[in-house]
Amino acid sequence: MWHKISWRLLQHELRRGELTIMAAAIALSVCAVLSLSLFSERLQAGLLERSAEFLAADRVLRSRDEVNTEWLQQASDEGLRWARRTSFNSMAFAASDMALVDIKAVSSEYPLRGQLEVGSQAFAEGAPTDELPQSGEAWVASQLFQRLELALGDTLEIGNSEFTVTQVLTHEPDSGLNVFTDSPNVLIGYDDLAATGLIQPGSRVNYHYLFAGDNADIERFESWLLPQLDDVTQRWQGITDGDTPLASSLQRAEQFMLLASLLGVVLAATAVAVAAQRYCQRNYDAVAIMKTLGGSRGLISRIFTLHLLLLTVFSIALGTLLGYLLQAGVIYFVAAYLEQSLPAAGSGPYVLAIGTGLLCALMFSLYPLLRLIKVPPLRVLQRDLAQSSLRAWLQWLIGGGTIYILMVVYSSSWLLSAALFAGGSMAVLVLLGISRLFIRASRTAGMQAGSSWRLAMAGMQRRAKQNSVQMISFATALMLFLLVLALRNELLADWQNQLPDDAPNYFVVNVADDQVAELNAMFEREQISATDLYPIVPGRLMAINDELVRDAVSKEERDASEFREGFGRELQLTWRADLPPNNNLTEGNWFSEDETGSVSVESQVAERLNLAVGDELRFSVGGDEFSVPVSSIREVDWNTMQPNFYMIFDPATLQTSSATYIASFYLAPERSDELYELFRNFPQVSLIDVDTIIGQLREVIEQVSLAITFVLVLVVLAGALVLVAQVQATLEEREKELVILRTLGAPGKLLSRAVTYEFVILGALAGLIAAVAMELSVFLLQTQVFAMQPSIHWRFWILGPVLGATIVALLGKAVCARLLAQNAAGLIRRLS
Amino acid sequence: MIIQTTAVSKKVETSAGPLTILHAITLAIKAGESVAIVGASGSGKSTLLSLLAGLDIATTGQVLIDNENLGDLDEEQRAKIRADKVGFIFQSFLLIPSLTALENVMLPAELAGRKDAEAQARELLGKVGLGERLTHYPNQLSGGEQQRVAIARAFIGQPKILFADEPTGNLDSTTGHTVEALLFEMNKAQGTTLVMVTHDTTLAQKCDRVLEMQAGELKEQSVDVA
Ligand SMILES: Nc1ncnc2c1ncn2[C@@H]1O[C@H](COP(=O)(O)OP(=O)(O)O)[C@@H](O)[C@H]1O
Ligand SMILES: [Mg+2]
Repeated sequence: MWHKISWRLLQHELRRGELTIMAAAIALSVCAVLSLSLFSERLQAGLLERSAEFLAADRVLRSRDEVNTEWLQQASDEGLRWARRTSFNSMAFAASDMALVDIKAVSSEYPLRGQLEVGSQAFAEGAPTDELPQSGEAWVASQLFQRLELALGDTLEIGNSEFTVTQVLTHEPDSGLNVFTDSPNVLIGYDDLAATGLIQPGSRVNYHYLFAGDNADIERFESWLLPQLDDVTQRWQGITDGDTPLASSLQRAEQFMLLASLLGVVLAATAVAVAAQRYCQRNYDAVAIMKTLGGSRGLISRIFTLHLLLLTVFSIALGTLLGYLLQAGVIYFVAAYLEQSLPAAGSGPYVLAIGTGLLCALMFSLYPLLRLIKVPPLRVLQRDLAQSSLRAWLQWLIGGGTIYILMVVYSSSWLLSAALFAGGSMAVLVLLGISRLFIRASRTAGMQAGSSWRLAMAGMQRRAKQNSVQMISFATALMLFLLVLALRNELLADWQNQLPDDAPNYFVVNVADDQVAELNAMFEREQISATDLYPIVPGRLMAINDELVRDAVSKEERDASEFREGFGRELQLTWRADLPPNNNLTEGNWFSEDETGSVSVESQVAERLNLAVGDELRFSVGGDEFSVPVSSIREVDWNTMQPNFYMIFDPATLQTSSATYIASFYLAPERSDELYELFRNFPQVSLIDVDTIIGQLREVIEQVSLAITFVLVLVVLAGALVLVAQVQATLEEREKELVILRTLGAPGKLLSRAVTYEFVILGALAGLIAAVAMELSVFLLQTQVFAMQPSIHWRFWILGPVLGATIVALLGKAVCARLLAQNAAGLIRRLS
Repeated sequence: MIIQTTAVSKKVETSAGPLTILHAITLAIKAGESVAIVGASGSGKSTLLSLLAGLDIATTGQVLIDNENLGDLDEEQRAKIRADKVGFIFQSFLLIPSLTALENVMLPAELAGRKDAEAQARELLGKVGLGERLTHYPNQLSGGEQQRVAIARAFIGQPKILFADEPTGNLDSTTGHTVEALLFEMNKAQGTTLVMVTHDTTLAQKCDRVLEMQAGELKEQSVDVA
């Protein structure tokens, strides 16, 4: 029986629009979370898919020796696809000349991700292909055509075998990241490898094993394989590991999305709380009547709890549907824009969104519901009676607790949540105080003003307590809006700055000492903007504070005892007198002229190896060993397309004529066919084209800026909802006031203006407070979370109040419009 | 005696100290009787009504309905008594705005878990002349119509006692008279005991008995004329 009453109440109230705000608030929070998390999950999956092309696989196992075939069998058993890529340096002989090349022998499944591109002309644009070199064929990189004056169809002698050059190899998906490969690539089939006779015991060969497959399969294989790896001679590599530019951009984007959706949810939750409060207040009479008519408390709790549950389920279903559609629409455009389809998301976003909706709806309406159920029947005779025996702190406890839980769920960090929460609570308290002050001050100001203004001020004053709460929600909504807006601009500008249109798109490597001057002169003459030439000396890190590192001892010794973690592979060392651009010292001092003999270490390496300023490092360079102290730790921006180094020495320590040099430069795409002429005089240097990497980075930025714009829209919606809910909550009060003023003969224009002014003042004050609070939050976020340079946003100090006044006044007027349009008689009837 | 009170008083705490609203009121009302309570505004009429109906409890003294002492019962048990034996009509109608006329009338029966609620409600709405307005919401009805719905709602549980707090107070006099007539007619037909607070002396005169409240004390005006 009782469930019929719940159902009926829901049906009628939905139809009559009494639950619109509440339903909209719940639906919006579900919709926002769902669309956002679906969107970001799919975007990320898409990006990962794209980034997998950097590796030509999902995971790569690099080894110095052939691995146990059991491992490959296991991969097949787990349902993974795998391929071999075996590479080594060798001399290649053409008719007239010879050159050192990098031979890559690949098995027929290669590449597992991405595509090879080939062409018929060196340094020209190639086209994707699914083929591989046939037996007896070799595909050769542009540089070798330059160096050996090759033409297609020529014969290349490698070891004991002869190969016909059939294609210019213009792009390999997995060549992009290692800018230190200094010899041109020659791609041959794996089956041709043995016949060359180049693989002998003791020869230095890189055995790479590429794996691809479903995430779950890969993870299973990974957990089986990892414990068996020898961490000195073998290395397991995924997409987001390492210092790829993508990894750090993605991380920042992810942090932003997380934060923004959390803010959106907090806003929507506020709207739910305000709407629930108002909804329950409107039902006080209904509960009193039901109790008077003999309804027991249990029955009435059941009726209203079910009512609320039904409303919640309805709103969540609506939100889920809207969220899905919204996300599908956005994805549709994004995918068309990016010319890439995005993979489907799992069930995670749905669980998160529905959970959030349930939590918001139930927790925020719990306190009002408890109060509602406690309404005494006597209210039917004593109209003003409302039970207030429930403590207000209970409401703050439930509300605060819920927001905290949401924060933890979203950030999956207790600590970050606690910090955010404490900061937020402080902000609310301060805001409350400030808004009280403002309201009090505005009364004095209003005394000297015209009658509409005076009425507006009086109205504000009368509702001081209500208004300061209202002002907090206005201010919070505006602040979050400004915050997301400012951060969006900052983040995007920050990213764009790192990748300006003339970001270097080529690396030149293997430049000899005696050619540095000539190359610099050429750059200048041809007006090519290039970075400095950095010397490169290969070397190994042997010991830290006289403790040998693992890679400096033999395998037998290593297994026998504990060793300090080392770098794990050969390092590219450089020397330099001044700090490179886009490097920031975090500890210690840069080399000074008079004291020599020290090294500056990149911060991530320092962290991994547990290094501090003053630690003594022993290096082995070209057979010599020497020790230097760490004089500084540097942060390096890996997003820049410039040569970056883990270890930089002062010139006196390392300088040698045997180094080769590296630089990056920008050559406009339309000049790319000049490359051959430009580098004609430098036959032994190699060029590496990084346009692809830059393209992918730009793509990430574009996708992220789209996502951020989308977040902004959601935050605006949530904010507007809070405003409407708040204004609606004071509607009854306003109604009574208007009746009295109308009955006393106040002209409609005056009242209408007074209402407008009141909202204008409220909005402007809220906007100003919001701008200040926003500035503070952006500062904290920039310095603490995003590792960016802090900045001040003066425009927002004007934008805030103007926006606040406009939005709040428009929304407020819209909500009150019906009231103002009525004549006194109508108003009185509405009240009775 | 269907209602009986002995030395009932009501004290409340206010910010200006304790305030006694009712002073030792003793009265008895027979089954089927109609009683009017009159008196100046603020004299304690509504407070007395709330005690008689068990909406509130007396500070001292006893209230018995159908020989049950309300003071011995908790809120749930008093609700049960209201569900079984009592009907209400209020000055401000107090219909639930989001339920239709029919649903408002069905409500008490449904709260009591009765199955035949709808048929009965239709019949009652027919009797009060609103057979055509079943699906209208309260805000689509005039004040008089709303009060007629309230009367139908009051009678659906076939209560032994009907409490009315200024039932015509919000209505113009013509509508007020129609509603009054209806109230008395239905009261007669069902043999209900009627306890009615009113300002309207002609309405009061139609009752078997008139009790007058003066500053929280009871003064009987006229005794049973029948
Ligand atoms: N809970 C209460 N607290 C304070 N004063 C009350 C309370 N309930 C009633 N009163 C006061 O008691 C007096 C009687 O109220 P009421 O019974 O509503 O009068 P009536 O219905 O005769 O106009 C009024 O002065 C009213 O203000
Ligand atoms: Mg009264």
